[in-house]
Amino acid sequence: MKKEQAAPVPFPGFGRLQRPEVGADRASAGANRHLTDLIAGKLLFFAALVAIAAVIFIIVFLLRDGYQIVLETGAWNFLAGQNWNPAGQNPAYGVLPLIVGTLLVTALAMAIAVPLSIGSAVFVAEIAAARTKAAIKPAIELLAGIPSVVYGFFGLILLTDWIRIAFDQPSGSSWLAGSILLAVMAIPTITSVAEDAISSVPREFREGSLALGATHWQTIKNVVVPRALPGISAAIILGMGRAIGETMAVLMVTGNAAVIPDPITDVFSPVRTLTGTLGIEMGEVAFGSTHYHALFGVAVVLLFITLAINSASRIVISRIQGPQGTARPTAHRALVAAASRIAHAVSAPFGGVVSPRTSQRCAFFLISLSVVIVLAALGMILFGIVVNGAGAISWEFLTGSPRDLGRAGGIFPAIVGTFYLVGGGLAIALPLGIATAVYLIEYTAETPLTRSIRAAVDLLNGTPSIVFGLFGFAFLVIFLNFGISLIAGQITLGLMILPTIIRTTEESLRSIPGSLREGSYALGATKWQTISRVVLPPALPGILTGAILSIGRAAGETAPIMFTAAIFSSRYLPSSLTEPVMALPYHLFVLTTSIPGASTQSYGTAFVLLLLVLAIYLAAILVRRRYNREKVM
Amino acid sequence: MDESTILETRDLNLWYGQNHALIDISIRIPKNRVTALIGPSGCGKSTLLRCFNRMNDLIDSSRITGEILFNGNGIHDSLADVYAIREKIGMVFQKPNPFQKSIYENVAYGPRIHGVREKKALDRIVEESLKSAALWDEVKDRLHEPALALSGGQQQRLCIARSLAVEPEVILMDEPCSALDPIATAKIEDLIIRLARNYTVVIVTHNMQQAARASDYTGFMYMGKLVEFDMTTKIFEDPGEELTENYITGRFG
Repeated sequence: MKKEQAAPVPFPGFGRLQRPEVGADRASAGANRHLTDLIAGKLLFFAALVAIAAVIFIIVFLLRDGYQIVLETGAWNFLAGQNWNPAGQNPAYGVLPLIVGTLLVTALAMAIAVPLSIGSAVFVAEIAAARTKAAIKPAIELLAGIPSVVYGFFGLILLTDWIRIAFDQPSGSSWLAGSILLAVMAIPTITSVAEDAISSVPREFREGSLALGATHWQTIKNVVVPRALPGISAAIILGMGRAIGETMAVLMVTGNAAVIPDPITDVFSPVRTLTGTLGIEMGEVAFGSTHYHALFGVAVVLLFITLAINSASRIVISRIQGPQGTARPTAHRALVAAASRIAHAVSAPFGGVVSPRTSQRCAFFLISLSVVIVLAALGMILFGIVVNGAGAISWEFLTGSPRDLGRAGGIFPAIVGTFYLVGGGLAIALPLGIATAVYLIEYTAETPLTRSIRAAVDLLNGTPSIVFGLFGFAFLVIFLNFGISLIAGQITLGLMILPTIIRTTEESLRSIPGSLREGSYALGATKWQTISRVVLPPALPGILTGAILSIGRAAGETAPIMFTAAIFSSRYLPSSLTEPVMALPYHLFVLTTSIPGASTQSYGTAFVLLLLVLAIYLAAILVRRRYNREKVM
Repeated sequence: MDESTILETRDLNLWYGQNHALIDISIRIPKNRVTALIGPSGCGKSTLLRCFNRMNDLIDSSRITGEILFNGNGIHDSLADVYAIREKIGMVFQKPNPFQKSIYENVAYGPRIHGVREKKALDRIVEESLKSAALWDEVKDRLHEPALALSGGQQQRLCIARSLAVEPEVILMDEPCSALDPIATAKIEDLIIRLARNYTVVIVTHNMQQAARASDYTGFMYMGKLVEFDMTTKIFEDPGEELTENYITGRFG
């Protein structure tokens, strides 16, 4: 009870009470709320401490084990070695082919995705009628949520075959297959963010150009797109991050030979990416061996790539927020110049020769074509899965256990297992993440310390999910001796979504104007009363959206659970947290890659997983839409 | 001035980081009167206002020396409870800042956080406060609609009702009409004059006519200093300082 006495006593001289009947109530509220305020502050502080410690621990853990490989083989041999062969007689740990593989797959994927995405974004933002826009925009956002293993499944059964036959190759598993698949995956993300950037260009800019007699296309090309360029660049960087971090889809279609294509432009050559290497080799590595350290080295390389991408996007975004109209730094000017040069080069064949009207017609044709290609590709995937998958659905399939290695029976344990994994991950990450964000925004000033915490959170936020899988496997499964277990998977998924939840909650809190906080304080509210009653309620829809998107991501991820929690084909549900568990994405992965003759079940599993994840994303979109409508009122 | 003093500062100095925003301010705010603070932008009048209920505590870089007394007690004393001080010294801000709640909940928020739970008591406080703020007739049939659906002037009167609901002794107003149209401004000015029967009002304003119309006392501030403080009639008719005269006759600022 000491604390209660230590709380400041009400200010002497405040005796005036005009309403005695409520006076007694008030006096007792005084001491209590001080105590509540104190306890809430302390709890938030400890939650933030735990979350931040976890974030920093993961980074240090990866760096420490990754550094070992530099000691064992030398930095040069590791980074520039042309041979990756951990299982050979003379094991070699040269990571160069993997880096080259990652860069090639990503570069070609971007070359395919960027024009199509920007074309689609321009179409949705500028050309489409309001009703078309209202239909296409949420559809594209939904597509961004399709789990990567579903894309991988599709790529493995259709894309690689098509490449093998169409280009007369011995195998379709190739750089090209990986790039096409990654492009299809990145398109919804890039389109969605780029469309936001284009739509947010103020109308006056368009009107200014149109009032001079410019055509719609001239306005888009010369005024709208240059103005939206920082946002478009951020979209491209985001899509690139997603492509580099992708594990399952590329692992399933690139052939995974650790070679540098010869010649370097041979798109039919198999390649192996950094993430794919972790996905393939993590399960069979001996704890503490050179190979083990080499895999951590690979994870650290991925960490540095993420860091580079984050820094690039931060620079781009600071351009957006930077003062308008003042001289921009040269990098940005070069970007703008390059973009306009590309735009001119594209339109040059029409430019001087044809009239603006014709050039507009050509441009709009190309833009519409890109939309058609995108919708056709995504529609084909969805259509294939829905048509083939719906046929596999039966009562037994949904409620039974798998038999004959998944070729018969059902996927009930996998459905429930996915719920267990996601629920556990959320139970860990949601309270910690929200508390951390509240503490960072409401209790701390902007100092170098909070800035570095934010940078660390951002770094983990962009880190490929397979790296979390590696951490969970090395630390939880092996070091803490949890074994392959439900709890290890839950913690790994929880850590994976923690940075996302922290960041989205922070954004949401930041959007609550400071004047509301002041209004509450000015009435004599304590800090906790202000946070819990004035700040959190309007921030809730934003926090909720972030949480739901995290659930969707966690439900669809394979990489973090495949070596920490998941088993294939179990008849029973786990009876305790220490037992392994089935999960939909992992089930689909194994069915597709290792079990011949289970294609009906694969389609069925893909269909169920797709429905589950899309339902979750749809919920997020609906929450946000309702919130936006309320805001307009 | 032989009125009884409710708020007083003695040699008050305030810094925002390196910026010396208030310099040796000594002022006595008379009880149950309207006191206006005028002066050009950046002269420190809003900063001084925010000192009275310790809102500057929320700005990390701020630093204060000197004394501020409320009913004779120092508000920075180690025993002083900042929350109780703000309960007794309410504030209305430049831009209306209703919470994202219903009209009723906005007004009930203050009493609730100070421990009033009974529905009846809350209902009565809400009605009384809205009536005092001259808003009751306009909103009595839609108390449970979102406060953000009100017009700007109504929102500002709601914010005044919100601060009345916790029974303050003093209401600080930081340019409460600067975001409002002339009709809404006139309503708020009427309200201020009526409030002064039961409350002490300190108002910061850019609008000289407003100060002349609505206030009993006026302080003129310039570059962080209180240049002159006297009866409003005296300040506007026969200012003691040349600087004051130049300002109110519009020769600068």
